Amino acid sequence: MKDLRLAREGRKASRARPVENVLREGLRLERVPDPSVLVLFGGTGDLAHRKVVPALYQLWRTNLLPHEFVLLAIGRRPYDDESFRRDIRASLDQFSRVLPIEDDAWRSFAERICYQHLDFADPAGFDDLASRLDALDKERGTRGNRLYYLATQPSQFAEIAGQLGRAGLDHELHDGGWRRIVIEKPFGHDSESARRLNREVGKVFRESQVYRIDHYLGKETVRNLLVFRFGNGIFEPLWNRRYVDNVQITVAESIGIESRGAFYEETGASRDVLQNHLLQLVSLVAMEPPARFEADALRDEKVKVLRAISTASGDAGGDVVRGQYGPGWVAATQVPGYRQEREVDAASETETFVAARLMIDDWRWSGVPFYVRTGKRLPKRATEIAIQYREVPHRLFKDEGVEPDANLLAIRIQPDEGIMLRFGAKVPGLGLDVRSVTMDFTYGSAFSVDSPDAYETLILDALQGDASLFTRADEVEEAWSIVDPIVDGWADAAAPDFPNYDAGSWGPAAADELLAREGRRWRRI
Amino acid sequence: MINDAPVKLGEPALRWSARAHSIAEIESELARIWASQDLTTSMDGEPGRHISARTSVMNLVVVAGRPEIAERCAATIQALTGRHPSRTIVIGSADPDGPSWLDARVEAHCVLPREDAPETCAETIHVKCGGESGAHLAAIATPLIIHDLPVTVWWPGEPPLTSQAAQDLFATADRLVVDGSTWSGDGLARLRDLANLQESSRLAISDFALVRQSRWREAIASIFDDTDFLPYLRSIRRIAVTYGTHDETCAPGSANLVKPLYHVGWLASRLGLSVVKPLAPVVSHGSASSTTSTTRPGPARPASGRPIVGRGLAATLTDGRADVAVVARPVVSVMPSGTTLRVELLADRRGSELRADVTAEAETVHVRVWQDGVEAWDRSFRAPRRTDVDLLAEAIEAGRRDPVAVGALRSAAALVGDGMP
Repeated sequence: MKDLRLAREGRKASRARPVENVLREGLRLERVPDPSVLVLFGGTGDLAHRKVVPALYQLWRTNLLPHEFVLLAIGRRPYDDESFRRDIRASLDQFSRVLPIEDDAWRSFAERICYQHLDFADPAGFDDLASRLDALDKERGTRGNRLYYLATQPSQFAEIAGQLGRAGLDHELHDGGWRRIVIEKPFGHDSESARRLNREVGKVFRESQVYRIDHYLGKETVRNLLVFRFGNGIFEPLWNRRYVDNVQITVAESIGIESRGAFYEETGASRDVLQNHLLQLVSLVAMEPPARFEADALRDEKVKVLRAISTASGDAGGDVVRGQYGPGWVAATQVPGYRQEREVDAASETETFVAARLMIDDWRWSGVPFYVRTGKRLPKRATEIAIQYREVPHRLFKDEGVEPDANLLAIRIQPDEGIMLRFGAKVPGLGLDVRSVTMDFTYGSAFSVDSPDAYETLILDALQGDASLFTRADEVEEAWSIVDPIVDGWADAAAPDFPNYDAGSWGPAAADELLAREGRRWRRI
Repeated sequence: MINDAPVKLGEPALRWSARAHSIAEIESELARIWASQDLTTSMDGEPGRHISARTSVMNLVVVAGRPEIAERCAATIQALTGRHPSRTIVIGSADPDGPSWLDARVEAHCVLPREDAPETCAETIHVKCGGESGAHLAAIATPLIIHDLPVTVWWPGEPPLTSQAAQDLFATADRLVVDGSTWSGDGLARLRDLANLQESSRLAISDFALVRQSRWREAIASIFDDTDFLPYLRSIRRIAVTYGTHDETCAPGSANLVKPLYHVGWLASRLGLSVVKPLAPVVSHGSASSTTSTTRPGPARPASGRPIVGRGLAATLTDGRADVAVVARPVVSVMPSGTTLRVELLADRRGSELRADVTAEAETVHVRVWQDGVEAWDRSFRAPRRTDVDLLAEAIEAGRRDPVAVGALRSAAALVGDGMP
């Protein structure tokens, strides 16, 4: 019992701290994870078929999964192993990043796919699951290492975690294997529900066993942001209030809500994107350099940024703008307004656009506004971070032609991933005209290799026990503490005059006013 | 000559080709390629796609002793055009005793990475030199190098590492790529020269022979990721490497020993082992286990071939507390001579023994571990054979000096000592 208690607290029972595996040092090959079973709850669902299984196939195809690997999909539909494999094959033919599917790779991958019928409310089913996992450990040599991946409705997270705990499937010491749980966003729909979810999951799993996945953090350009900032000597000295005038972060989508009307009515842009993707990007841009490139060191710094963000409430002070799209034209196609979408209330007040001016009250960023915006049915799909530098202190060339714009560093996350630096240059000729020019780095040209899908990166990290790119409980709660007052403030305010922007435009006029009142404007994307 | 033929996604296409007979003419042709206003092409019959300006992330100088090597290298580099666009200079020489001459072919190869992107283009310059000029490699390569970009020299075959021509060329380079497993004889003299070059210069060295073993290293390192086995890591007392040979007599120099030695060199460098006795032929007393070193036989093991009694090399290392016996043992095998067949580790910690047995089979590396005689671990790692394209890409991507490669080469050369071969 003592061993079990200490293990739950993240401590070893009686062993001295082991020596380091010096043979690991400097190995350039991606480390192959331990033999393991990935238990995929929601194995018949959309996320599993579109994202999780194609990512696993790709990892298998490129030899990044262990030889002793099993994917045990869990669902309520009456499949057996064979029929489930046939369905998975059909999905891979449609959704795999690399097509066509390689027959040899598929055959060996398929041998490792199993299916288990299970009703999440049925405790006996979880006892059967435990028996099946024990049997797989014996047959397939997976050694009790298990990654529970919850690709289900968020409302089922706590129930599944509880059932796993009741069946003893969380215990790491009983047979020596590790146990981890992956939870997909959204992590709650406000501070209270997030805390409740963390509490329920925390009753069963230690925080170090919990991997909260926000796929944005697995994107190559987001990971490159850390390399760009902390792997280069020339940018970090310019990364502060002395040189930066403002930061603009845009997550724009040209699509509408697709078939997610019911979900979106409950969520809106603030909960769907601002609380997670946008605030993650803000914290990565604004964080201090961590002492080590380790999960907790990174996440400590990100949490500090979130804590330093001064919160607005509702539309108060004019620091937050919400919008909802009306009918319009996107990419030469006429599209309906939000209120005309399926499963949407004809008088809906749900926001499909949000822009905010955030201030980070710390030594580095005091006085530098971070303008963030996200929306549906904007003119194009684009995610970008723009660091807008200050004007030169003295305009030396003001009488000589057109004055160049201030320097700008734009980090494009999608599509067309890359980095652009804008600076002034002399126009060739006898005069002294100055124009803005750009130095442009495009991933696709410099590295003509496909970047891994974010899910490939994140699943491999979870199998290897690296939580650097996963969200910690306190990060989630801090992010909600920023968004909650905004949403609560709207609930108390007068109904907005929705729709207030046309599909295919860059959002409501008030979003432009947010910057214009300070003599700034959104960067044209 | 401009070629505006349609392109296929991801496949390099020859866009420009010209001849030159001097370095100045080559430089002139290089300038003409990118000054051409007509350098457009079509795709699916739609004209007017603009070919992007030259994209180069490095200079790659290939010293090709024979025309067939030059062709093979050029094909490898073309396959890397999209991933590592480089200015490539392939230098071959002929008729060293005749008059000096130079004949060059300047080419631009382009790749379309995506349908909505411009083409990525890189230049290849094939230079063939006769007479005295062919002996001055640096004088050919240096004027053609794009400055401020790193220079990698790829020298397949048998590089004369200590020659003046090689030294002059290395002085302009940042990285040298070789393949020690193709060297003639046992390859150990050249391995020592390579280590000396590493110590006396700032060159980063990539040896395909070492790069190929990455999956072995991953497999061996993974044993000690297991916390039950990790305490044994500092108590390794024996390292045995079995390698294939085609020669029943196992005469000295009959098999290349570079790959077997790299295994030992890597382990020795990571574990901080130093050489007490360098490699020397095993003194045979008529028994397979009679060597100059004390060894502890493990359980009976299946072998890939017939053991040759009393053959092989032995050395002694130390971690400062105890000796570590090293054995390199030949086995007649159908595998290419010098191929590693098995790596065995024996650790003894406070009377408890750990034995690890790592073998390769087809495209798998197999690891088995016994703890006090009881099988405790059995794991396979997929290890597909890697092409020259994969190896060159990995060598190029290594960036600066790789501490693993530096340590492995240094320790392997120390094992060779002065007495070998």
